[in-house]
Amino acid sequence: MSIDAERLTLPLPRPNVLELAPLYEVLRREAPIAPVTTPAGDPAWLVTRFEEVRLLLGDKRFGRSHPEPEKASRVSTAAVQDGPTGEYATEEADHTRMRRLLTPAFSAKRMRKLGDNMEELVDGYLDALVAEHERTGVVDLHHGLAFPLPVAMICRLLGVPEEDNEKFASLSERMAGTEIGDEAQRAREEFMRYMVGLVEGKRGALGEDVISDLVRAQADDETFDYVQMVRLCVGLLFAGHETTVNRIGLGVLFLLTERSRWDALVADPDGRVDAVVEEVMRLGAPGDLGLLRYAREDVDIAGVTIQAGDAVVLSINAANRDATVYSDAEEFNPDRPERTHLGFGHGAHFCIGASLARTELRVVFAALAKRLPQMRLAKELDQLQVRATLTGGVAELPVTWRSA
Amino acid sequence: MNIVVDQGKCVGAGQCVLAADDVFDQRDDDGLVDLLDAHPPAERLADVKHAAAVCPASAIAVSE
Repeated sequence: MSIDAERLTLPLPRPNVLELAPLYEVLRREAPIAPVTTPAGDPAWLVTRFEEVRLLLGDKRFGRSHPEPEKASRVSTAAVQDGPTGEYATEEADHTRMRRLLTPAFSAKRMRKLGDNMEELVDGYLDALVAEHERTGVVDLHHGLAFPLPVAMICRLLGVPEEDNEKFASLSERMAGTEIGDEAQRAREEFMRYMVGLVEGKRGALGEDVISDLVRAQADDETFDYVQMVRLCVGLLFAGHETTVNRIGLGVLFLLTERSRWDALVADPDGRVDAVVEEVMRLGAPGDLGLLRYAREDVDIAGVTIQAGDAVVLSINAANRDATVYSDAEEFNPDRPERTHLGFGHGAHFCIGASLARTELRVVFAALAKRLPQMRLAKELDQLQVRATLTGGVAELPVTWRSA
Repeated sequence: MNIVVDQGKCVGAGQCVLAADDVFDQRDDDGLVDLLDAHPPAERLADVKHAAAVCPASAIAVSE
């Protein structure tokens, strides 16, 4: 297989939700920074090798904003990570302020303290699933566990009413939709209006939650734009559940499509769950694109010149399977010697919810292995409904533990 | 072993706390790195080096 002289068009079709397009392997080797056409029809650079993806994530010559946003390449028709965001002139200062405001609320120590609370929640979800399974013989882990846990946790942290979950889940789904055209943009506007309502409802009685913190900070700082604050709240609510819901789904699929992986975890859940979570973070590949950046100046790298204003798609999925970094890179192997990955990104934009996500994933996979050791998939991998969203993943996770 | 952290670079990811929570913590007020032990015993070297390697901001320097 070799690379066509013509520009590739994203997304590269993948065989299934767990594997990547074989072409990524060729790209990493022969064209680690390749010119491509995005799903929105615009030019961009696709970066696939671990070394360059990590380097560019930590390079301040690349940002999320663009000096002329209306002229910037768009990478997707979804309304998330689709084009430039933020003010070009103040991007770094705005981002630093945001991190300062949010970091304490998502610190590793605080997230660990939520662990006991999560265990109780997960036990409750599993009790309900076990009861349902007695009646039906098959239950959907997506609706019964993968979805409700991250939603409950992010609602508590942000101070969002949990009973709104159907509303914001549906808004998130549409906002990230890749096959619904302008409907995605309309969903983003609707999500903004929903958040303005929430913010203004809180204003009279601010509490101990992240959205209240942001409302206070915005009121005290005239350089902190109101719309920017609301957009940030939307981003946190979206990313705070969408990503982990998908990751739980992908993790269950990795574990259950090869029985020895599941049996190894079942044999020692507490001892093995951390390594399993890291491998799920490395190999789980949600969505077909990557993280979006725009060059702030001309950059020569890996034999190409990225010009100021060019869009760059950093493929975390491809970097995390780089055979020059990982032994048997495509293999799911929690015992691998390499302990790092780019599943939470790198650099200044490193996922602020990483400790929250890790805690959730550990609690979920340990509890599943302890309580449902006989669990198996009730449908073939290829028959599962895949979501047509930027973040991908499956829309259902039917499992059974009936004796066959 | 000698460890130096750069709070100016730190982005508060908490990766170091996960790698070695006897050596690193995050400050309550801003979530930035709090070095608990600048000279941990030699047997902690592997975890401390791991913490430095996974720091997304390259804010940890370790010398043996």
